[in-house]
Amino acid sequence: MIKPVVLVVEDEPLVRLFATDMIEEAGFEVLQAPNATEAMATMEDRRDIRVVFTDVDMPGGINGIRLAACIRARWPAVQIIVTSGRPWPPNEPIPENVPFFPKPYRQDRVLDAVKRMAA
Amino acid sequence: MIPNSAMPDGAAHLRARALADLMVLDTPEEQAFDDLVFVAAKACAVPIALITLLDTERQWFKARFGLDVCETEIGQSVCQIDIDRADLLEIVDLTIDGRTKANPLVTGDRHFRAYAGAPLVLRSGIVVGRLCVIDTIPRPQGLSEMEKGMLQALARLASENLELRRIAHSSERMTAFQTALVEIGETIRDSRDTEQMAFATAGIVGRVLVADRAGFASVDEAVEAIEVETDWTAPGTVSIAGRHRLDAYGDLREPLAHGEPLVVWDALADQRTLHNLQSAMRIGVRSLVNMPVRENGKTVAVFFVHSAHPRSWPAEEIAFLRSAADRLEAGVAQQRVEQQQRIVNGEIAHRLKNTLTMVQAIANQTLRQVTDREAVYAFERRLIALSAAHDALLDLNWTQADLRTVASTVLDTVGFADRFTMNGPPVALRPQAALSFSLIVHELLTNACKYGALSNDDGGVSLTWRIVESGVDDDLLVIRWHESGGPPVTAPARRGFGSKLISIGLVGTGGVSLRYERSGFSADLQASLRSLARA
Repeated sequence: MIKPVVLVVEDEPLVRLFATDMIEEAGFEVLQAPNATEAMATMEDRRDIRVVFTDVDMPGGINGIRLAACIRARWPAVQIIVTSGRPWPPNEPIPENVPFFPKPYRQDRVLDAVKRMAA
Repeated sequence: MIPNSAMPDGAAHLRARALADLMVLDTPEEQAFDDLVFVAAKACAVPIALITLLDTERQWFKARFGLDVCETEIGQSVCQIDIDRADLLEIVDLTIDGRTKANPLVTGDRHFRAYAGAPLVLRSGIVVGRLCVIDTIPRPQGLSEMEKGMLQALARLASENLELRRIAHSSERMTAFQTALVEIGETIRDSRDTEQMAFATAGIVGRVLVADRAGFASVDEAVEAIEVETDWTAPGTVSIAGRHRLDAYGDLREPLAHGEPLVVWDALADQRTLHNLQSAMRIGVRSLVNMPVRENGKTVAVFFVHSAHPRSWPAEEIAFLRSAADRLEAGVAQQRVEQQQRIVNGEIAHRLKNTLTMVQAIANQTLRQVTDREAVYAFERRLIALSAAHDALLDLNWTQADLRTVASTVLDTVGFADRFTMNGPPVALRPQAALSFSLIVHELLTNACKYGALSNDDGGVSLTWRIVESGVDDDLLVIRWHESGGPPVTAPARRGFGSKLISIGLVGTGGVSLRYERSGFSADLQASLRSLARA
């Protein structure tokens, strides 16, 4: 059986590993990217990605919110989940159908969202 | 006439300014002045007596007896003759005197023939006009010494009255300024941002000074340009929001750079603005005050007030403006500090969250082999409850958190908001108590989900709190957690870490009682307000 593919975008290796394990154990194939640029490159390569789970604050100039907007524009079918140690920036509109989980997040809630959105 | 003119323009200028300062021109009749001209006319046995004030283009009568006009153009003024000598002027036959024989008041129907006027000298020494008596027949012998003496005495009374009137007026103004300063203080305290602060202050200042425009502008490093964010304007006056080069308006930089107020009472008569009138006229400024705002010995901003008409800006207005500008600057600085603090707090919170996330990640990796997954999840949720309490604290700059907010944020991390009611007054918790309370609420919620009222489909929890006055000064905060509608309750056989956490209490010294009643579990938490304030 083919597992649905989830891309985890997170600059902190330990947290990325944690998220990857969590989602893999829930029965998904997980790809990883440490920043938005690599995430976009991975998106180009792999057209089978269903869900992107991204952090907001990342080095390299493009944050998770802009990454979400780029993905939304180029691959409208891909689902996006955002997490951050900060509150959602007050002057940024929250895009439709993009769940937001403040860090630290409850694993069961993130997994529920991943499962629902990959379905 | 030999012009008495060490500095005729200078004297006229000073007189006009002093008159403006008196704020008497074009005011209604006042009994005190009317009485003086009446007495003067009777004392000198003449049909006409006047209190004449000499403005630049007209003479205006503050009081008149026997004359039906309230002003004439300055060219027709007999009073202005030799005015700066500050001496009694007497012309016994106006038709003969070279200075008056062609005057229309003499040649025309008014038929002025004899004149005597005593100067109105202010305490500053400036002569602002005369108290004069006029006869329609020549008086070749002139006034008697007694009459002259009375005329001069009445003129002194009139001058004194002008000053007193001015003092009474300015004390009224001072009261108005004091009220305005209080209002400015309140406005600054209530403003959300610096722009609103500046705009509201400008409005209060503009209205109380009856100006046409007022505003707060930042000044660049070299004191070359100002940047107006928003300004208050009277109806019909244009805003000057935007950047302005000071040189375009004249020689305005010098006093500003040195931190001195720049006062232009008439742009048309001021050497500093005279050569750049176009710019001033374009924005409708005839008179202005620029009050510099200093920081570390440098001018960083300016509070300005504009008027479309010349005005004198008396000392109390300048003092008021200085106070208003100082208050605004203090408010702006305070807000800047708070903004900086918010940024720093946000940054600290962000790092804390990332650290807690890493703790979560490490725990997950470390505890991978643990078969009791429930314990792992319990750890994770406690971590998250703690993190939620930090959010509530951050809301109030890490000094305190509201009890209800702490409970709500924890509830958000668990769920069941629809089966949970809260009721109680606002209570500020210090950081330590807020963190303890968040962990306690989390444990109580977890237990309720596992065994209590949230473990079935229709139970509920109510959280209520109140302050109980204990007679002495140490009041108690009493919090009650009460479950109902759950399955029958039995006391647990073993105390886990969760129960221990709960029993520590709000301030680490207990004050917790748990009751396992059959109808529903309840918990009372108590702490004295004094111990809470220290926590």
